[in-house]
Amino acid sequence: MTLPPFVWLILWLILSAPFVYIIGRIDILTDSRRNLARWLSLLCIAAGWLGLGRTLTAFYEAGNIDLINSATWTLGAITMRFDGLSVLMACLVMTLMTAILFYSGPYVGREEGVEKHYALLLLLTGAIIGLVSAGDLFNLWMWFEAMAITGYPLVVFYTHDRTSLEAGIKYLVQSSAGSVFILLGVALVLLSTGTLDILEVRAAIDTTVIGTPLWITAGVLFIVGFGVKIALVPLHTWLPDAHAQAPSSISAILSAVVIEAGLIALLRSLSALAGAAVTWGGLLIGFGLFNIAVGNLMALRQRQVKRLLAFSSIAHVGYMILGLGVALYVGTEAGAQAGFFHLLSHGLMKGLAFLAAGALLYGLQHQLGASDDSDPGSHKGLEIDDLSGAAQRYPIIALVFSLALMSLAGLPPLAGFMSKWQVLMAGAQAQDPTLLIILIAAALFSVISLGYYAPLINRLYRHKPAVAVANGRTIPLSMTIPLLILAAAIVILGVAPMLAGQLTAPAAADLLSFITR
Amino acid sequence: MSPLQLSFMGIIALLGVGLYALLASRNLIKIIIALQIMTKSAILALVVAGNATGRINLSQSIALTVIVVDTIVAVLALALVVQIKRQTGHLDAAKLTDLRH
Repeated sequence: MTLPPFVWLILWLILSAPFVYIIGRIDILTDSRRNLARWLSLLCIAAGWLGLGRTLTAFYEAGNIDLINSATWTLGAITMRFDGLSVLMACLVMTLMTAILFYSGPYVGREEGVEKHYALLLLLTGAIIGLVSAGDLFNLWMWFEAMAITGYPLVVFYTHDRTSLEAGIKYLVQSSAGSVFILLGVALVLLSTGTLDILEVRAAIDTTVIGTPLWITAGVLFIVGFGVKIALVPLHTWLPDAHAQAPSSISAILSAVVIEAGLIALLRSLSALAGAAVTWGGLLIGFGLFNIAVGNLMALRQRQVKRLLAFSSIAHVGYMILGLGVALYVGTEAGAQAGFFHLLSHGLMKGLAFLAAGALLYGLQHQLGASDDSDPGSHKGLEIDDLSGAAQRYPIIALVFSLALMSLAGLPPLAGFMSKWQVLMAGAQAQDPTLLIILIAAALFSVISLGYYAPLINRLYRHKPAVAVANGRTIPLSMTIPLLILAAAIVILGVAPMLAGQLTAPAAADLLSFITR
Repeated sequence: MSPLQLSFMGIIALLGVGLYALLASRNLIKIIIALQIMTKSAILALVVAGNATGRINLSQSIALTVIVVDTIVAVLALALVVQIKRQTGHLDAAKLTDLRH
């Protein structure tokens, strides 16, 4: 039996994880100072890039962006398909994971449980690529759970820290309650069509099924279930805690990839319920506006840098689902492409922002810890005020951090501006008065967001360095280089947004293929 | 009343009990039990759906997989609860408020 390259890629990432753990464990027990687990996981990711290269070559050669003609692998009732959506997410997750593995070396250092952390990162990569190439609804749920299960121990990396434990249990309880709703939705689809394969479900729908209460209930259950993971607004309460308490490298992965993977899973499951696309589009637009409003307003009153970034993730999820909702609502490819472009650029810029904040935290950690002897069990967060004048001590980190923040705020010529602009323009082309009001509100909230990004940049550049900053520790090169690469990517995508088209156009065509059937 | 309707009532009742327990209890172990009850309602729904559409083999294998995944989640959750008890000395979800600001 020949396996398509993308299955090899997933298998490789998942099967290599236990070896990384075992060898890392032996390395720790023999008390060497080589940090084998990190080098081994970098090696595994490098081999993964070869697999991804093969996959992409096969994908672009075949030119089959559509789900129907995509590379397929079937085993019994399990179907895996690698299509346009999968390409986008697979490239994003591999890029960020490589940056993060380089970065984690000094950042996580030799903390307790570091070998588990590397093995889990590999598993998470495999689970996300599996999730985005799942071809049937139950398989989708299983990969989704695999992603969630690898995520919990990563959030609770500091197992002796009370706040991490609190964030972890909140995340676990809310996320597993959400997955119950997804399963109920899967059961309803099975009941009304007798199959779970996404293509067969689509084909099995005759027009009488669409719009029946059962069908709508299934879709709503999917939105609620996956909505917990992508932090749709009433279900978002776990996100700021989990993203702020995890180590910064993990926050970057959670914010930049995991919520996006949840969004792709939601789109996939809704794409099976085609026909009611206008309903789902309207719902997504509504949730999008809620997310933009709540995320931006809550971020305004945060004092902690990582909590602020976490709330800004909620707002940015809003822009993504606004674009994708417009695409489903009016059926334009421009909207879908804009939504996916924002997904890509948010992944890069939020990853960069969390990593840069983590680098500053790494530099200042010892200084900050000294003033906080009352509660030694708690990893103190980085407050905005702690960063006074950091640009003088850490000019490069401050520069890339400001670039990421300006891109998140949507200032030209950075990637965040181009993607937000495309989302708004795609919506405006629909010529719908209600939609226009929503878009104007979204644009105004984008201006409000400057109200919390600008003071941060101001702190970095226009204040006298605090004592803690002046005595901060040097940040090693292996943390700086991944940051510079991500920053370059943001600038390049901002100047030449058509470069992203290679990834976003197939995804958009793939998403729309089910509406215009 | 048809068997399908009857089993639907069972599913909704189980889900309702689970959701109520999830929202009303403060003890972390009881919260995890509530999650388990909710998952059981989903498993029942899958088996009922498979039975009604003649795909009982598919839904049985799905149900087994869900039970395995569910156990992994429960083990992880209980490990977290043990650690919370060690660090804070209590199991009260309402007292875990370090992050509320």
